[in-house]
Amino acid sequence: MKKRQRTAVALVVFLFLAVFVGALMYGSYSMTAKDVVMTLFGKGDGMQNIAVLDLRLPRAVTAVLTGAALSVSGCILQSVTKNDLAEPGIIGINAGAALAVVLLISVQSTSYYTALGFGTVLLMPIAAAAGAFISFLCIYLLARDNGSVRPVKMILAGIGVNTGVNALITLYQLNMSKGDYNQALAWIGGSLWGSSWMYVAMTAPIIIVLILIVFYKNRTLDVMDLGDELAMGLGVQVERERKVFLVLAVCLAACATSVAGNIAFAGLIGPHLAKRLVGPVHKRQIPAAACLSSILVLGADTLARNLFSPLEIPAGIMISLIGVPYFVYLLMKER
Amino acid sequence: MEQQKIQVRDITVAYEQTIVIPKLNLNIPGGKITIVVGGNGCGKSTLIKSVAGILKPKKGEIFINGTEIKKQAPRETAKQMAVLPQSPQVPEGLLVKELVAYGRFPYQKPVGGLTEHDHQVIRWAMEATGILALKDRRADSLSGGQRQRAWIAMALAQETEILVLDEPTTYLDMSHQLEILSLLKELNQKNQTTIVMVIHEINHASRFADHIIGMKEGQMVFEGTPADVITEQNLKTLYGIRAKLTLSEDGTYPVCTEYELE
Repeated sequence: MKKRQRTAVALVVFLFLAVFVGALMYGSYSMTAKDVVMTLFGKGDGMQNIAVLDLRLPRAVTAVLTGAALSVSGCILQSVTKNDLAEPGIIGINAGAALAVVLLISVQSTSYYTALGFGTVLLMPIAAAAGAFISFLCIYLLARDNGSVRPVKMILAGIGVNTGVNALITLYQLNMSKGDYNQALAWIGGSLWGSSWMYVAMTAPIIIVLILIVFYKNRTLDVMDLGDELAMGLGVQVERERKVFLVLAVCLAACATSVAGNIAFAGLIGPHLAKRLVGPVHKRQIPAAACLSSILVLGADTLARNLFSPLEIPAGIMISLIGVPYFVYLLMKER
Repeated sequence: MEQQKIQVRDITVAYEQTIVIPKLNLNIPGGKITIVVGGNGCGKSTLIKSVAGILKPKKGEIFINGTEIKKQAPRETAKQMAVLPQSPQVPEGLLVKELVAYGRFPYQKPVGGLTEHDHQVIRWAMEATGILALKDRRADSLSGGQRQRAWIAMALAQETEILVLDEPTTYLDMSHQLEILSLLKELNQKNQTTIVMVIHEINHASRFADHIIGMKEGQMVFEGTPADVITEQNLKTLYGIRAKLTLSEDGTYPVCTEYELE
């Protein structure tokens, strides 16, 4: 068991590095792994510098950050709701964020089209985060019962609010021009297109701090896995901790969704895979899940950029294409 | 030695608007096995959950070692009293030793691993419950009896003087029921652990309890040693059955041989 885990960790780290270098190598201007490494150490020529440092590296870092954020969010939600199918989408993050972005695009379509100005780039993530929080708040209020939140009720409320918000999105999309519609669709599909160092600078500090907080509380998550009654018996203030963890999960998912759109499926599959590889103890599950989802998002984005080049398909769709068959396989193997 | 470990003072407990325990006073003696008996819905689980701090009484106080639990940090209570609810769920893929290690939670700081003392306690808990050989197995792959012992080991790892268990023998076959109860008796005798539990099987209660509390409609209808309170009259009050009782072979506790609905 121990040996298997060590092999798994080594494999995950290797895979992570391979996918990361791969993401920097391939594109409309392809380079060798050696060139990439040289460029990273400041020895590239002008062309290589632009391709790697200005375009691909920020995008790869964004992919890693969003993957990690979604995955940690998924780990929290699966423990707090005691539901293996919980993921950031269920607490209304995606639908809310998507609705906000669709509204934004339809309201200021002209400024969006003329130039991808500083304002718009900044506005989209902020709108997405705001939308994510508002829809989570709706679900939270619906799931409240005498001041406490019941996990089952939260999932039901989440499904309800998701459906409602998606209906609104469709309604708005029907009224859009074709250009806006495509733009909205690409965002909802989950795309890292246009990721810049500015995105990284905006989200990286928040995501890293949030993940560190969650990791600091890993033992509380462990004990909450045992159920409310046992967790209380072990001295956890379950109601309070659940709220804290929910807010952490929403913040993480909102950060990720704000820059990468709807790719929440990564937040479901990462924690699952991690649990299979290193077990359900969060001290190991959280880092493993973060790594795995990063690999998934980064790999999917690289494929999405190159598969039908120069056309780009949203990474979220790619993740579903890779992830769904694997997930079905997992479900079938389960007992 | 006869100190009162747990004191329940005038508690009223309700789920939403339904009052389950209208007003209850009782004491749990220290260093003994107290077994709560009663029909379904009589409030015995509610009592256990209130004592465990899982349910908050609307009125009244509960004292543990003389301190009111409401006024104490939950972690401090967790160092004095371990609680095992009815049929808990094992997280998928968790190993037995990891499960038992979770019992050390109240003592741990957020960062840093298990201390030497933690390891000793975890090992002792697994030895005491006879699951040391299973420590590297997945807890969800164990049989019902083994799993119950793993849960008890987790509670033991909490290093408390009080152990509260809600129906620890439910879903177990006869031999495993006996095994769990004998284990608890042994822990009680070796370490003077105060044990409070709910059990349905009246003969088990009679055999293993030092102190029996009978509950009906949220009220305590009798309490005392098995020899004093397991009587035909009390069983009739509690369950509405006509029971025939004899003494056990060693003459120390009553045994119910036959019972009939009235």
